[in-house]
Amino acid sequence: MFIEYTWLVPLLPMLCFIIIGFLGRKTPEKGGYIAIAGAAGSFLMAVLISYEYLTGDAYPDPVSSSIQWFIIPGNEDYVLNLGYYVDGLTCVMMLFSSAISTLIFIYSIGYMGDQGPRKTRYYAEVSLFLTGMLGLIVSSNFLEMFIFWEVMGLCSYLLIGFWSFRHPEGDDASVNAASAAKKAFLVTRMGDVCLMAGLFILLGEFHSLDYTTLFDPDNIAAVNSDNLTLAMLLVFGGVIGKSAQFPLHDWLPDAMAGPTTVSSLIHAATMVKAGVYLVARGWPLFIQNPDVMLFVGIIGGITAFLAATMALNNMNIKKVLAYSTISQLGYMILGLGAGGYLVALGIQMGGEEGAVLMAAGTAGFFAGCFHMVNHAFFKALLFMCSGSVIHACHTEDMRLMGGLHKHMKITSTAMLLGSLSIAGFPLFSGFWSKDLVLEIAMDAGNDGTVWFTVLWVLAVVTAFMTAFYMFRMWFMTFMGSEGHNAQHCHGESPKSMTVPLMILAVFAVGSGFLALFGLDGILSFDPITYLVGGGHTEGFEYFSELFTNPYTWLTIVLALGGIGIAYVMYGKKSEDVESKTFALAGKFNKNGNAWLYKALTKRWWFPDLYNQISWKLGYGVAKGVNYVDRQVIDGTVNALSSSVVGGGDVLSKVQTGHVQSYSSVVLLGISVLSVLLLIIAMVMGGI
Amino acid sequence: MEFSILALLLIIPLIGAIATLCCGGERQKAAKYVAGAFSGVTLALALYIMFLCDFGDLDMTISWIETEVLTINFALHVDGLSILMVFLTALLSLLVIVFSAAEKDRPQYFHALVLAMEVGLMGVYLASDYFLFYVMWELTLIPMYFMISWYGGPRRHYAAIKFFIYTHVASLVMLIGIFAMGFEALSMTGTMDFSFAFINTVMPFADESFQILVFALLFFGFMVKMPSVPFHTWLPDAHVEAPTGGSVLLAGVMLKMGSYGIIRVCLEALPEGAEYWQWVIIAIGLLSMVYGAYACIAQSDLKKMVAFSSISHMGMVMLGIGCLSEAGVMFAIFQMFAHGLITGVLFMVAGMAGHNFGTREIPLLGGMAGKVPIYATFMMIGWMASLGLPGLVGFWGEFPLVFAFYDFIQSEGMLWLIVFCLLNLMLTAGYYLWSMQRVLFGVETTKIDMAHVHDVSKTEGIAMAVLVGLIALFGVWPALALDYIGDYTSLLMGVF
Repeated sequence: MFIEYTWLVPLLPMLCFIIIGFLGRKTPEKGGYIAIAGAAGSFLMAVLISYEYLTGDAYPDPVSSSIQWFIIPGNEDYVLNLGYYVDGLTCVMMLFSSAISTLIFIYSIGYMGDQGPRKTRYYAEVSLFLTGMLGLIVSSNFLEMFIFWEVMGLCSYLLIGFWSFRHPEGDDASVNAASAAKKAFLVTRMGDVCLMAGLFILLGEFHSLDYTTLFDPDNIAAVNSDNLTLAMLLVFGGVIGKSAQFPLHDWLPDAMAGPTTVSSLIHAATMVKAGVYLVARGWPLFIQNPDVMLFVGIIGGITAFLAATMALNNMNIKKVLAYSTISQLGYMILGLGAGGYLVALGIQMGGEEGAVLMAAGTAGFFAGCFHMVNHAFFKALLFMCSGSVIHACHTEDMRLMGGLHKHMKITSTAMLLGSLSIAGFPLFSGFWSKDLVLEIAMDAGNDGTVWFTVLWVLAVVTAFMTAFYMFRMWFMTFMGSEGHNAQHCHGESPKSMTVPLMILAVFAVGSGFLALFGLDGILSFDPITYLVGGGHTEGFEYFSELFTNPYTWLTIVLALGGIGIAYVMYGKKSEDVESKTFALAGKFNKNGNAWLYKALTKRWWFPDLYNQISWKLGYGVAKGVNYVDRQVIDGTVNALSSSVVGGGDVLSKVQTGHVQSYSSVVLLGISVLSVLLLIIAMVMGGI
Repeated sequence: MEFSILALLLIIPLIGAIATLCCGGERQKAAKYVAGAFSGVTLALALYIMFLCDFGDLDMTISWIETEVLTINFALHVDGLSILMVFLTALLSLLVIVFSAAEKDRPQYFHALVLAMEVGLMGVYLASDYFLFYVMWELTLIPMYFMISWYGGPRRHYAAIKFFIYTHVASLVMLIGIFAMGFEALSMTGTMDFSFAFINTVMPFADESFQILVFALLFFGFMVKMPSVPFHTWLPDAHVEAPTGGSVLLAGVMLKMGSYGIIRVCLEALPEGAEYWQWVIIAIGLLSMVYGAYACIAQSDLKKMVAFSSISHMGMVMLGIGCLSEAGVMFAIFQMFAHGLITGVLFMVAGMAGHNFGTREIPLLGGMAGKVPIYATFMMIGWMASLGLPGLVGFWGEFPLVFAFYDFIQSEGMLWLIVFCLLNLMLTAGYYLWSMQRVLFGVETTKIDMAHVHDVSKTEGIAMAVLVGLIALFGVWPALALDYIGDYTSLLMGVF
């Protein structure tokens, strides 16, 4: 009875967007409470729908319903629909997106409290953002999904650029925010264009973009497999853009120019999760070719590793978190890729051996999605903690922080829990899912190709780096001697900010245990029917297996090692209080002069590369085109006309001044003439 | 003779133009109300026809010149193709009058010119006789010429003359094509009837070589109007010099005369010619699209950038037509309609930069969003709609159109051509975002006098809000317009 109203889930925040846009200025908190109500309403709907679906008779068959939107005519018409699609994946995504968004909106009341009338714009835009994400999740076809996908792109543009004029920190920051917003939109647009091309191919092959049609094993078997491969590679191009994967990852660190709550929203509940969701959603199509999945896995592995390196020496608290997001997204993509590779191999091989591979591979689907859920909780927590710190210290530079633990105990503890979780400390949520990803990469390496073994090594090294940089961040912020801004700290943030932190901290620690209560069944993938959900729950086996696996112990040791090194390097009070140089760290990087250190601060020169390409291929060519336009084409025209007129300037003929005085006569003449013509026409017609 | 309300679509604005012209001297202030009332009635009538009438009952034919061999009629006809253009003409004329309500310089002439243009445009879209079509086609030139040369910028005389000569030469070539069809019909059937119905039924049976030749003549005439690269240079100049209201009409409905002509005349009458020239049409479409987009990036004048974006988007229309498939033509027509709505907002926004800030030069602007938030909102919506943001009308002129093109090149084995479309999508996002960043965001500029900068006035706001509302409406429910187009295209495809 609730599932029929699934369309309400994105519609509620949409209504809030409209209400806030028109009336928000007049309400208390400038629309903040309306936004919270909308998000909470969506969450409530999501709970009711999920409960009804998961306990209903249809489960695990998806429940979908559509109305016809329009038709593109062809030999066989292409029908495009509008509707909703509910299965296990939809339920889980809906629940955590709306829940975390609700908490972020509550937190915003405190964090954005001093923004005055501009809050209206903020709350309207975040509501629209949530609409985009929830709409994307419940969509019943790829076109509808693409529309919400782009709506989210627009919202991220607006929100990253929220401070693009009149930034509290001055003009440079404004310029920065404006160009970051532009970069985010254009870089993701590059992916979107690929995705669009992929959708063309899918639409051409299937004559529909409905999930129910596309995920039908019989339909998939009937299409041209080469075209499908190309289509899925292009679709994955969209994921690379949206989920900030290598080589289009560089927009995400810049996107930190937006308010911290927005970063939290983008990184935890919406936007970048959309790309991972798309891979999970499109899994039935992705797993048709092992090479596609290998490509997906390689991109994920490289991203995880590369982003982690860039976080190692960054001094900006939000940027460290941004790199960690990219890195964790890499894990999710790696998990989905490695599992999909095994399933794809199994499908190709067939028979009993194939069945074994397929069964092993489906664990990758759960690993990727499970990590997405866990990451949502701990990353929202980490960002909101960093927001709380920034709120108190008015800086994002960690060198100016330090020793904050005694000023803000709740924030500090919450952030410690989040950091332990992301670092993969045993029993914390990040630990479970990250090790599942590693395990599936290992499996894919053993049963498939050695590439995945290489990726596994990268991922393990990444796990070590993650532990190190997260605790480097935590120690630099909360421990050691007080930096300049820390001495003027306002103390702990208001209740509206700390309460969401505490709630999220509980989830960040414990969300891993959801697998014990059936999450893995809901997020299981059936390699025969291509349905999500309804799998046998074996969370306990998963967990107990982890501890009997020697490689797990290796990652635990590495994580602990990373934390330990971070403590040795950054945990203690530094000798030189004024400049807060860290002696040991300075020794490693030759006080910032080592080439590797420079490469990392330059982000491996990716921003320069982007600039060069866009400048040369965009503006350079444009200049040339403009020259041709003005000089060659228009020059010819002007030369031609002046030779016709006989060397005289065309202008001189009309610049006599008489034209104006006669013109109204001419106009009147024309009108009279037209009337005459009409009368003649009627007379000739023989009235 | 039977009289149909279609004729009222011409007569009301015509009377309006004369009435407005009479509001000289003391009565100048009344001009805008008179003009607004007449164009408002025209719009109401257009809506009535669009939603409540059966198009088949509306045909009217008054015989004009009738001898034994020659028949020229004053004939009007409306169908799924023309109704959207009629609606657009009526809508934009009214909105231009509302938008330009503050016009102080001889307002009676300005508004009379708008209404005179509406007469001509209505005539072009409603005519179902080649002779009438040509007369009306020429009629649109005159008010536009005066609009530019009276109300334009510093180089207005150059631009006006350039506009006039370019399009006039093109329409002479078109006239030759029309006569050629008339004489061919004479030799084929023994009568020389200039009605659409007659010529468009006879011509598809003409020789292929004849069709190829005449197609080229007519196509040239229409493509200059659209305009397509390389015969486009009159457009940026005309736009830069034209007043805002003139630009809106010029880009919003006048350019569509070109693509309308290609579909109505070239495709309906000369299908074999179209098939012969198909790849040329596609090449011109792709070239205009990418060339226009690149030229946009290099522009520093906001209005010139928008003018080049029109070239780029009309290139997309050309591409859709070039597919010669039902889907291609269908969404080309939709793109015409969508571009008409969006470009109205674009030119209003670009023109307002000139009125409200004193300059349209992008390098002189910056950080305007803080000072003029309503302006910034309209600019953002317009820019986003034009770059094809899903959920707004531009997306439906883009996604399905490129898909139709994909479908076509896939069957031809020329799949790599899709790269141009993708490049265009990327460039479009690039120039819009970049210009928006430089105009609206960042540090507030010190290069212009910020004290005199003022935000959108009430009438300007209303005009743009109406367009934005329609952009959103047709964006969410494109079938509203597609139903009309679909009726027409399925008939059109009968000749191929």
